[in-house]
Amino acid sequence: MTPAIVLILGGSVLLAASMVLKGGPQRDVYGQRNAMGLLSIFLLILAGACGFFRELPADLGNGLFRFDDSALASERLALLGGFLLVLISWSTAPKNFLGEYYGCLIIMLGAIPVVGASNDLVSLFLGLELISIPTYIMLGICKNDNPGAEATIKYFLLSAFASSFFLMGLSYLYGVSGSTNLQLIHEALGFEGGKLTMLAIMLVLCGLAFRITAVPFHFYAPDVFEGTSLTMAGAMSYLPKVAGFVAMIRILGPDMSPSAMSAVVPVLLVCAGLTMVIGNFMASAQNNLRRLLAYSSVAHTGYLLLAITALLRDNAEPNVLFSYLAAYAAMTLGFFACLGEIEAAGGRTHLVGDLSGMFYRRPAASIGLTVCLISLIGLPLTAGFWAKFMVFMGASAAGMTDPMSIFMAVLMAFNAVIAAGYYWRVMSKLFEKSDANVPLRVFRPSLFLAYTICVVLTLVWFFVPAVM
Amino acid sequence: MDYLIPITILLPLLSGLAIFLAGYQGRKLVPFGIAASLATLLLSVGVVYSTFNGAKADPNSLATVGSAIEFAPSWLRIQLPVSIANHPVRWQLQFGVDGIGALMVLLTGIVTAAVCIFSLQQIRDRLHQYIALILISESMLMGVFMSMDLVSFYLFFEAVLLPLILLINGWGNSKEALSASRKFLLFTLAGSVPMVIGFIGIALQSASITNPSTVDLEVLSAMANQQQTEAVAGGAELVSTLATNQQWILWLLLLGFGIKLAVLPLHTWLPSTYAVANPNTTALIASVVAKLGVFGIVRIVLPLTPIGLASEAQILFASLGAIAIVYGAFVALSQSDLRKVFAYSSISHMGFVTVGLMSLNTEGMSGAAIQMFNHGIITCAMFLLLGMLEQRRANLTFTMEDLGMAALYPRISVLLIFFTLAGAGLPGLNGFVGELLAMMGMTRVNAAITAIAVLGTVLGAWYGLRIVQRLMFGSDGHSKHKPLIEGQGDCASLELTTLAFMAIVCVYIGVRPAGPMKMIEPDIARLVKVTEPASKIMHPDVDTLAQTAAK
Repeated sequence: MTPAIVLILGGSVLLAASMVLKGGPQRDVYGQRNAMGLLSIFLLILAGACGFFRELPADLGNGLFRFDDSALASERLALLGGFLLVLISWSTAPKNFLGEYYGCLIIMLGAIPVVGASNDLVSLFLGLELISIPTYIMLGICKNDNPGAEATIKYFLLSAFASSFFLMGLSYLYGVSGSTNLQLIHEALGFEGGKLTMLAIMLVLCGLAFRITAVPFHFYAPDVFEGTSLTMAGAMSYLPKVAGFVAMIRILGPDMSPSAMSAVVPVLLVCAGLTMVIGNFMASAQNNLRRLLAYSSVAHTGYLLLAITALLRDNAEPNVLFSYLAAYAAMTLGFFACLGEIEAAGGRTHLVGDLSGMFYRRPAASIGLTVCLISLIGLPLTAGFWAKFMVFMGASAAGMTDPMSIFMAVLMAFNAVIAAGYYWRVMSKLFEKSDANVPLRVFRPSLFLAYTICVVLTLVWFFVPAVM
Repeated sequence: MDYLIPITILLPLLSGLAIFLAGYQGRKLVPFGIAASLATLLLSVGVVYSTFNGAKADPNSLATVGSAIEFAPSWLRIQLPVSIANHPVRWQLQFGVDGIGALMVLLTGIVTAAVCIFSLQQIRDRLHQYIALILISESMLMGVFMSMDLVSFYLFFEAVLLPLILLINGWGNSKEALSASRKFLLFTLAGSVPMVIGFIGIALQSASITNPSTVDLEVLSAMANQQQTEAVAGGAELVSTLATNQQWILWLLLLGFGIKLAVLPLHTWLPSTYAVANPNTTALIASVVAKLGVFGIVRIVLPLTPIGLASEAQILFASLGAIAIVYGAFVALSQSDLRKVFAYSSISHMGFVTVGLMSLNTEGMSGAAIQMFNHGIITCAMFLLLGMLEQRRANLTFTMEDLGMAALYPRISVLLIFFTLAGAGLPGLNGFVGELLAMMGMTRVNAAITAIAVLGTVLGAWYGLRIVQRLMFGSDGHSKHKPLIEGQGDCASLELTTLAFMAIVCVYIGVRPAGPMKMIEPDIARLVKVTEPASKIMHPDVDTLAQTAAK
């Protein structure tokens, strides 16, 4: 638990620091930015070191938290996303709320291992709320205009709504099993469950579907992505997704009874199918880059849900999801970092057309974008290929007994092609000749570092997928 | 362990990357790029030579795919963080060359060298980058033809896309290049992404027999062969179960390979791409990239899912091939855009390959394999010639008057006539050998399909001669007096040498087909062990000649 404690405590310290940060016109903005960024990096490294040097007992126990492989993987994902997000935020964090911003970000990152390790409904819910509440604050402070306020209110209300669904589901789960301990709940789910169990699971899934932007709970995503700052949109596309999927793995245990399975799996399959189809079709209709990315993030949720269905039937391992999420972090956050650099240098990234001819104005960021886009399409030489490959593998393995699963895998393949269509649209814009040819010269080392890391990871993971 | 294989793959890749990384300095590296392509040609000749002298196929082995030379170091393995049937995925990658592969490697070497040499004259803009991309695609293509496992096959198959897209986009007809390359990308992906599910299906099914799972084609083909033999011995029920098991994989694979080889309803990407890309680029796409589909069927579909193929897809694909022959020929006859004429003629010729392949017997498959090579050489030459003509006369179409170019460009016209006749299947030239064998094979399976396909040879001669007549001799006598544009006379000696070399290859195969036949014979013989029984079981009443021979 040490890394999570380090991060949450450290985040609180940063939050408190915001009270003593000097405000007003004479303050040293750059100094404050650097100090906050360095402190956050220090906290992340400290947390990583705590995790690295920790010795786990052989018996994982059955308490409030349980450090199995999933917990460790979610910790790694949080740290990976954390490093990238801090680097991206370095020059883009709102300058009036530096302490609040970094504090909330670090607390969010600390909450992911809490979700990942929780072995109890209470701690799970605590972790999920620890992600939601800082998100409200960050959305509010990141952009102080009407769309920003709209995004904040929308997210706040819908998130509260989803949380209440989730809580209601948890209470039924408690009612069915007589315990809040997830191991005991899994045992209860293993018996032939009644309708109440199904209701409980459906309610829980509704609550989680909101966090991972699965259809039909995806409506907020494009508005929020468009309304908030670029960095925050990056965080929103990654962190809640990790938390939601990890929580899903935690709650839906592997040994569910056949009747529970036959109720849950079709729902998830249909949800996965709808999510990827709607996400991709809506994305291909967008001209606004943020909305495009929001829908593309919805589509990726669909692919991951397909992996979850394979996982439930014991045809895949949690590693499929974690690898996908890692690859997803590299490609999406890399994408946002490149866009951020273009924006910081004075370019516009509002519409797809704004990127026209960007290769001749900002070559490095454009090459970064290209690599991330190739990875998002899922072509070889990038990590995105193996990520999709493993999802296909899980779905096909499940399909050996259930033709529906094969069908969904093929559906996903065709979705990947639709997705290639709109990613290609973005990519070809970068290289086309355009009238705007003023080079953008402002250099932001932190953003450059962020997308360089993403590009390198994307390429390296292709050749060594075992460490993904 | 034969290091010729990695060198052949890496040499063009590294030289291409070197030119790219050199940036503006890369302009000076053009001769280096040409030299690299020629060196790769030499290497591919070396590959052919060592395949000839390589390991001979073991007649008792169950495997229906095998390599004469191979390269499979133990460190070359792919490890995924997941497991199949409780064994962590750790797949050994294999590279190897058999006769068919060697033939395609040689084709790639010849075509790339020719394209590089021609680009000196044809490409005015960013020549060094063009050559670099051609070299990178060559390396990927070599990788496809030399891989002996599913994973590396797929990776190279997919990776070819990236340089090709850049080539189509960067040096094509600028107005339409974007939409054409998008169509090309989406069509190819629509085939190849579902295909990966088929590959995974094969690997997963292998896990139930050779746990841990494998992607080695040799092992997988031996397994498929054994399964089929057992099923045939076990009776009709087992056969149909096996066919059902293979079928969903088969359709996914055929979708992918079918799009690449532009089988009829899936062909629409081909004319638009060929019409938009630079003819030089098209020469590479039409002659080698379009063969990836056929090669994939030979390498993966035939040995791994023979029963599934024979049960429904065989006749369907053969019919589609025959229809493509006639349809392509008719469309070629009715086009006025020369590039489209060539594109549809390419669809028509590929129909022969499909028909031959789907006969699943020795004659047909050898015909298809030989025709792959022949068509590659002929189409490459045709598109290179087209590029030269277009350079000399902008926006070249049939509707233009005053096209009699024979008087202006005697060398080009002789070469064009030669390759047109080779393409039309004139006896004594290479096109004849492949088409004849392919149709012989199909006659034994389904004479009706052959009857349709035969029309293609007549139509082929028709549109071929129409091209020659209109372009070369359609003059009203004025063109002779037109002044020659500076630097655009008849083809230069370098180009002449290249094309003459290709013409010699055509004549050689036409006159003495035994040479290349000897190379592919053992591979076809191995394949037939599994495909012919499959075809016989599924169509007991069609394969008439073969059955009388068997009795």
